[in-house]
Amino acid sequence: MNIIKTSNITKKYGELIANDNINLTFAEGEIKAIVGENGAGKSTLMNMLYGLSRPTSGKIFIREKEVEFFTPLDAINAGIGMVHQHFKLVPSLTICENILLGVEIMYKGKFGKTPFIDSKKEYEKVQEVTDKFKIDLNLKDKVEDISIGLKQRVEIMKMLYRNVDILILDEPTAVLTPQEVDALIIDLQELKDKGKTIIFITHKMSEVMKLSDSVIIMRRGRVVGDVKTKDTNEQEIAQIMVGRDVLLRVNKEEIDYSKSGVIYKLENISTKNLLGKEVLSDINIEVKKGEILGIAGVEGNGQGELVKILTGLMTSTKGKIIFNGRNITNWWPVDIREAGIGIIHGDRYAQGLCRDMTINENIVAGYHRKPDVSKRGMMRYGEIAKKRDRLVKEYDIRIANPDGNVSQLSGGNAQKLIIAREFDSNPKLLIAYQPTHGLDVGSIEFVHNKILELRKQGAGVVLVSSELTEIMSLSDRIAVMYNGRIIGEVDAHKTNIEEVGMLMAGITNKRSNKI
Amino acid sequence: MKKGKMFLLDIFNSLLPVLSAFGIGAIIIILIGGNPLTTYSIMFSKTLFNWNGFLKTLHFASPLILTGLAIAITFKANIFNMGVEGQLLVGGFFACVVGFYFEGLNPVVHVILGLLTGITCGMVFAFIPAILKAYFKVNEIVVTLMLNYAVIEILRILTQTIYRDPTSGYVSTPAVASSAMFYRIGGTRLTLFFPLTIIVFVIMYIIFKKSRLGYEVTAVGKNPEFAEASGMNIKRKIIYIMLISGALSGLAGAGYMFSEKFKYTLDFSGNPGLGWDGMLIALLGRHSPIGIIIAAIFYSALKTGGDIINIFTNVPKESVGVIQGLIILFISIRFINQNTKLFGNTMARFSTTKKKKNEEVQK
Repeated sequence: MNIIKTSNITKKYGELIANDNINLTFAEGEIKAIVGENGAGKSTLMNMLYGLSRPTSGKIFIREKEVEFFTPLDAINAGIGMVHQHFKLVPSLTICENILLGVEIMYKGKFGKTPFIDSKKEYEKVQEVTDKFKIDLNLKDKVEDISIGLKQRVEIMKMLYRNVDILILDEPTAVLTPQEVDALIIDLQELKDKGKTIIFITHKMSEVMKLSDSVIIMRRGRVVGDVKTKDTNEQEIAQIMVGRDVLLRVNKEEIDYSKSGVIYKLENISTKNLLGKEVLSDINIEVKKGEILGIAGVEGNGQGELVKILTGLMTSTKGKIIFNGRNITNWWPVDIREAGIGIIHGDRYAQGLCRDMTINENIVAGYHRKPDVSKRGMMRYGEIAKKRDRLVKEYDIRIANPDGNVSQLSGGNAQKLIIAREFDSNPKLLIAYQPTHGLDVGSIEFVHNKILELRKQGAGVVLVSSELTEIMSLSDRIAVMYNGRIIGEVDAHKTNIEEVGMLMAGITNKRSNKI
Repeated sequence: MKKGKMFLLDIFNSLLPVLSAFGIGAIIIILIGGNPLTTYSIMFSKTLFNWNGFLKTLHFASPLILTGLAIAITFKANIFNMGVEGQLLVGGFFACVVGFYFEGLNPVVHVILGLLTGITCGMVFAFIPAILKAYFKVNEIVVTLMLNYAVIEILRILTQTIYRDPTSGYVSTPAVASSAMFYRIGGTRLTLFFPLTIIVFVIMYIIFKKSRLGYEVTAVGKNPEFAEASGMNIKRKIIYIMLISGALSGLAGAGYMFSEKFKYTLDFSGNPGLGWDGMLIALLGRHSPIGIIIAAIFYSALKTGGDIINIFTNVPKESVGVIQGLIILFISIRFINQNTKLFGNTMARFSTTKKKKNEEVQK
């Protein structure tokens, strides 16, 4: 039986058609993956199923009954729950309290309900549900103390407690470590066995293959493929998704950089966080001209702090950074950029771009003191517009309104804008932190090719990423971070994923030359 | 949304609270026994559509434009200077001291000296919360707000003791020397303070739309993390913006002193003070420069209009105060509506249930 059916759903935002005549059916008890490039309309479709927005035209049927959702509450009552990419939890409350937020159980006195919460009964009730679905949670822990993977579990529990049959997950694995991803997969399969229907949006082909029964592929607001997972493969899905052939592996030219000089060097860099705990200890790395140094590691092992130090957002308490023979330790970001270092920040909407400012204003950010951008304290907006037109053409950035704000850009185009900005000044070194995070296959390919181009021109690259395949395919040398230290360094051409994976888990062996 | 449509929405959003306030104001006037239509028409014909009245309105709009700007500018950097009132009082007071202390100076030198004193005092007073905010992360709203009361009391003590004019029958400082008074243009109420205000306004407009400082301040206001990652010194920007705001407030006080009041009394700034009026004007003008000018002139017409209806009708001038209060109230209602979807959703639900009911009835 089809649990959800959409008939001719169309959603328009002004002149933009986000969803164009979507006709889909979801079978009960299956796991369905939805893939597509950024801006393909996946989230728009899911938001309509969850009552966050309403279709411009078309109908939604649940168990062959027409429904109309005004708020997520309507959707929950109809049996649809959604877990967002960004969790909506109260950190200071316990897991149990978070799950029951809004549906608290009250003490029942002789004269009916009292305004006091019956926490004992609450706990029992929630425990019952967690046991039923075999979800491992310590209900009395506070949410602020638990890991991201557990928080996601709490979000899923919140929906299960409300008795939903259909669970929508928006990029559930984007924030998880590899181990947490595995745990999530087990959880979801358990739910499937209990008869729940699961829909998840993802960018990662490996998860589609591992987890889903069938997969929907979207492109530019349309459904372009609806296939059984067992009848297809990663290559085929990627091809349908972007409408052309994509190289999942990059073509990297071999460059003999062994004779070229060192351009960037870190000597014993250490730092403490605000609580006084040492989060980076004695980091020593070297980057040669024309070399990509990959820094791998499970998120949270000091990469964030390291990038902050390299880009001037945090000061080191010890050590030196030498760039091109100059000591640039603890310089301001603007000076670091001026010295010839390009920076791609990890969160493109937090540090990389400002959504509410125009494309013109964003395309010069960080370089706004250069004489071609501002003179005698005044911005040269005429020149900037010319520069923008040139870069938009050169980097194939798709914009509807060139004078408008950055918020109109999709993720891939926003990243292209950052790359255009940073590469245009011909940096001698590039620091890239998660440069393809959350991007679709086509955009990933673009970013990778641009980084390789830069390498060919003889620039050094520091690539920090938790995406192991990215590190493996791009880097010349790989340094692995664990617990604030470089635990090992390996030659990318002579290593394999298992060896790097071991290092990421903190296990060293003889083959890696420890520093 | 398209730019033109946004612009219309902005205008609509600014007009609606004003119109609603006048609507309720009309009910109150009727209850008092007056005729709202004649009251309003007298008020606006004498303040906006009568040459001398209009010049008077412009004259009183000058300090309001400056205080409105002072607030709107800090808002751009996402900080809130609630101390415009205090900075204005300090600026006005010490400009007054310079005004009566020196005698026989060249008028141009004297006025400039007084205005510079006012500006400096305003800046010094804005510097305290600026430093606390930038380097010690102290909430600027609390500091600026509380400093207002400190300023008012200090100035009261100074006026009652060392700077008291013994010949005056009430608590006030001596009047400024005639060389420190602004030149009146063509014998009207309008003084050179108004063109000076317009010049300052144009300079501010250029700084915020075209300069690098304006660019960096916008970035700091919209996304501090991005601003820092792009190499902007946020602490320094906070201090600059507070100093500019303080300078504008101080100038407003000094200019008001030399063009209208001439001596510092305890009700120098009126009630509510010019600084608080500036806040309303910044909100009404939606923090845009042109909006602030229009809002300041309109608000000035409302203020001067109070006296006029007192003279020409039997409606008391306090009814204008009621309208001012209602405008503030309605502006905050608009804010709530902007930030929540609640209203929109209930409306959508309401309209469809109604539709369904109609369908059922037809069946």
